[in-house]
Amino acid sequence: MENREVLLSVQNLEQFFKMGRKDLKAVNDISFDIYKGEVFGLVGESGCGKTTTGRSIIRLYDITGGSVYFKGQRIAAGIRRYKAAIKEERKALKEDLKKLAGDNAAIEARKAQAKELIEKMNAEIASARYDHKNCNKIYAQKQMEKVTAHYDDLISKATSAEEKRKLEKEKNDELKLAKKERLTNKIQMIFQDPIASLDPRMTVKETIAEGLKIRGIKDKEYIKQEVLKVLDKVGLVSEHATRYPHEFSGGQRQRIGIARAIVLHPELIIADEPISALDVSIQAQVINLLNDLRKELGLTILFIAHDLSVVKYFSDRIGVMYYGNLVELASSDQLFAHPMHPYTRSLLSAIPLPDPHSEKNRKRIVYNPLIDHDYSAQEPTFREVSPGHFVLCNDEEEAKYKKEFNL
Amino acid sequence: MEKKLEVKNLQISFRTQQGILKAVRDISFDLYKGETLALVGESGSGKSVTNRAIMGILAGNGIIEGGEILYDGQDLVQISEEDFHKLRGDKIAMIFQDPMSSLNPIMKVGKQLTEAMLLKNAASRRNARKLFNDKLTLLNKNMDEVNPAEATQNKEDCKTFDAFSVHATKLEGVFNKAHNEAEELKLDIDNFVFLVEKKQNVRAKSSLRDFVKRLPETYHPRVVIENDKVKTLIEKLSAEASAVRKNKVTESTLDILRQISKVLDESIDKDKPNFFCLGYYVMKNPNADVDNMELCELNKMVRQCLDDEFMIEFIKKGKAAILNSHNISMQKKRDNMSPLQEALDYFKTGEMDEKKANEVANKVIPLVNEAIDRLEIVKNSTEYTFGSSLKGNIKKYFDGLKQNESEAKRFAKEDAKYQRIIAKGKTPDWRVIPAVYFDEKLGVRNICNVIENLMNSYQRDFDTDNLFNSEEKMIALVDYLKEQASTLVFKVTKKIAKARALKLLEEVGIPEPVIRYNQYPFEFSGGMRQRIVIAIALAANPDILICDEPTTALDVTIQAQILELINKLKAQRNLSVIFITHNLGVVANMADRIAVMYAGKIVEKGTAEDVFYNPKHPYTWALLSSMPDLDTKDKLEAIPGTPPNMIYPPKGDAFAARNKYALEIDFEQQPPMFKVSETHQAATWLLHPSAPKIDPPKIVTDRIERMKKKEEARRGK
Repeated sequence: MENREVLLSVQNLEQFFKMGRKDLKAVNDISFDIYKGEVFGLVGESGCGKTTTGRSIIRLYDITGGSVYFKGQRIAAGIRRYKAAIKEERKALKEDLKKLAGDNAAIEARKAQAKELIEKMNAEIASARYDHKNCNKIYAQKQMEKVTAHYDDLISKATSAEEKRKLEKEKNDELKLAKKERLTNKIQMIFQDPIASLDPRMTVKETIAEGLKIRGIKDKEYIKQEVLKVLDKVGLVSEHATRYPHEFSGGQRQRIGIARAIVLHPELIIADEPISALDVSIQAQVINLLNDLRKELGLTILFIAHDLSVVKYFSDRIGVMYYGNLVELASSDQLFAHPMHPYTRSLLSAIPLPDPHSEKNRKRIVYNPLIDHDYSAQEPTFREVSPGHFVLCNDEEEAKYKKEFNL
Repeated sequence: MEKKLEVKNLQISFRTQQGILKAVRDISFDLYKGETLALVGESGSGKSVTNRAIMGILAGNGIIEGGEILYDGQDLVQISEEDFHKLRGDKIAMIFQDPMSSLNPIMKVGKQLTEAMLLKNAASRRNARKLFNDKLTLLNKNMDEVNPAEATQNKEDCKTFDAFSVHATKLEGVFNKAHNEAEELKLDIDNFVFLVEKKQNVRAKSSLRDFVKRLPETYHPRVVIENDKVKTLIEKLSAEASAVRKNKVTESTLDILRQISKVLDESIDKDKPNFFCLGYYVMKNPNADVDNMELCELNKMVRQCLDDEFMIEFIKKGKAAILNSHNISMQKKRDNMSPLQEALDYFKTGEMDEKKANEVANKVIPLVNEAIDRLEIVKNSTEYTFGSSLKGNIKKYFDGLKQNESEAKRFAKEDAKYQRIIAKGKTPDWRVIPAVYFDEKLGVRNICNVIENLMNSYQRDFDTDNLFNSEEKMIALVDYLKEQASTLVFKVTKKIAKARALKLLEEVGIPEPVIRYNQYPFEFSGGMRQRIVIAIALAANPDILICDEPTTALDVTIQAQILELINKLKAQRNLSVIFITHNLGVVANMADRIAVMYAGKIVEKGTAEDVFYNPKHPYTWALLSSMPDLDTKDKLEAIPGTPPNMIYPPKGDAFAARNKYALEIDFEQQPPMFKVSETHQAATWLLHPSAPKIDPPKIVTDRIERMKKKEEARRGK
């Protein structure tokens, strides 16, 4: 577990939306890691913030607080928390100064302390802003360095002048590409509704090639080859390339959406309810396709859905969200075998199964946070109750869960 | 069990640019009272189209090519839009997939809820009196036939029956008025208390005075008994009302109001007296003091009185009358068999001219109509709709023939033009719409079906004739008359409608209905919106509820809640539910019986146990195996390909092209329905005795095995 490579790390992610004077806390302080090559499922009822989480990661929103690290590089950071800290410190300083009136030495010490803290916060803000703006540049720089190192080595070993010239040219081409390499391109998204997410006035080829063009590839033949390659991968044929989205059935449209996502060779795919809008028989096709692609391309997938049986089937680990909080996170077998948080239990009890006998005897567990938790003594935190199994709870509940499952 | 709805050989097509799209191809099913029938299938399999036809809301280019939808003695395919108004929403209600698009965005939820109640109430009251009179007159007529000597006595009896029912309705009217008044007052008081609690502006003084004034109106000996408690409460309240200053309502006033509300609530829920009997008693003893008696004793006493003096005699006569009417009708039916056979023979030849065909039809239809036993409460739809169906089908046949000629002409003309342009070496930017011909054979078969159905129904009647129980029928008739009489005085005012709507909102699980009542649909979340839609569908007390994917747009927890709600309401109101979905988990939860549809046909039908534990059709296997459950680990078996284009329906089994178990005959010939058991049927050649034995895919058998083990484990516990 420990030695696996962390591909995406979300730390204390906060995403608030302004609603008049109040804030809508769509995502409220969640943290999780996604390891390379796994499928991470995110479930919860509608409005709990799972889609917002996905969109924050791919930087469709500017996040309010926390950081998102992708391949070790911070790609998104929020500054609101630091700003709030500065504000608070200034307020506290004012009051303290009033109290300390007369004692000059103490005042100086307090001022220095405050200054230090504010400076620290300002530095954090600056670094967050810098990372947010320049993450792609930094990544491109790194890639260029890699390319340079690679070719320099080759060139130094080259014997003839002709070979050297050839390598030089190759190096320059590669460098050009590497310069345009963007870290955020390595994350791609598949949307819920294939009809709404495809431009009706673009042919399939144009839709898929758009990403390549934006990336700066001008070689038309190369683009064509790439498009045909991905079409083949997602189970469409080359004739489909010149057609428009409305000429396809629902499952095929979703395949186009998937093709568009994988054409840029992403490492992480955020699949936002990719099968909810599809018919039963087509759902299985799309799940199978995603499964195949994942094995073939070594993809990591963040799978957002509310159909729990599909999530269970498809995911390695599952996070359960409830009103902006991550309440439980565990491997999918662990989660379904030993659900700890009462919300998870209620969610699992609501899954309809294709079995009339068990369905007619199924008892739904109702979750009411006011009744099920008593947080008057201690606020809950997100903690690891058993290896790899995280739950949002306080001390008392942790003890209870541990006792319940003999941990 | 009582059949609520029968769909027979229904065929629906859509006229499109490319040609005729056959959406529903010859499906039949019955819906019994109090059961849930689930229709399962992919999109485009014709589930929604069938139900839209039942509701009479097919799209403009839809044509019902044949078949019948029978409900309460009417063929919904034949009846006019005017008649449909009386059924739609009132008797057959529908819940749609997307709650937002089925609610009016600029109308408050409360108004949408009460609209139907108010409209339907006025119409049903008008109707009730007519039905009551018709049935009673008919009964009288039959009594006379049985015993012509006692004609005057019979007339007298029926008059008495009518008279005391009038008395009863009068009494009930007074009761209802007070009852409504109490309900309205309670609503207003609750509302007032609510507003004060929420610190909103109220007109305290005038409101309190209004309450004091209105309270006595609720005094009915059977509603709010004017006891000392209420009296003291009123006195206190009026004292408080005069003491109110500057709209400030004190806690003590609120307390009194709450107490009054409680008393009113108790009185609203009180049992009703037996007005039907009470009417007779009051008629006979005008000076009797019935108001102060214990309800239970009173009911017993008046019942006794009615039975002793009148009812037993009346029922005896009525029984004879009903038997008479039944026997006459049976005799007529027996006589009808031979003319019907003649007509059938004539139509079967397929060579008819319009005049002769109409003559034949006009000869049989009156005979059949005469043979209907009009005293039956539960109408036999086949008999009632025979005339309209036969005439409709004959008309359709001859219209079709005429249309075929003009269609052929049109096609020839357009095609010639097209060819001319082609010959010139140009490519036209338009296409020739392919010629669509009316299927003559189908027309003939439809006509014959109508007659055959009737004959079969007659035959069933002959077979079950010895089971006829005239006593049961008479009691049912009296109950029916009672119901009609009390519908007459069942008046719904706006306030009452509001009170009912609030109750309904509470029933479907919406918290704080008082606030919600005055909100617009956009202020609700998805699940809440769907609850509102359900409440609206139930507002008019329908017999049949059609749910068209009501939970597809909702997430798991809300879905479970909505399903529980529908199940609860179904049990409470004894509804018949048609449930359309493609989620097999939901089906397992809801359905008593399941019909799996594919490409406009029912491919398998049976009870939920049959379909889930012993599926027979490859399409059902495919559906089951393409859906993961919590224990699935293997690769899912997706159904390859897409459903066929129904403009050119395939020759054999429509599923054959996507079916890896397809036999050769599947591509040649459509399979008939094979019977697996009494309740279970499937249309696949695999069930033919000479077919090779093929087991369902492993993923399905494994799951069934697992489910059986689980079931055993549960039983063992």
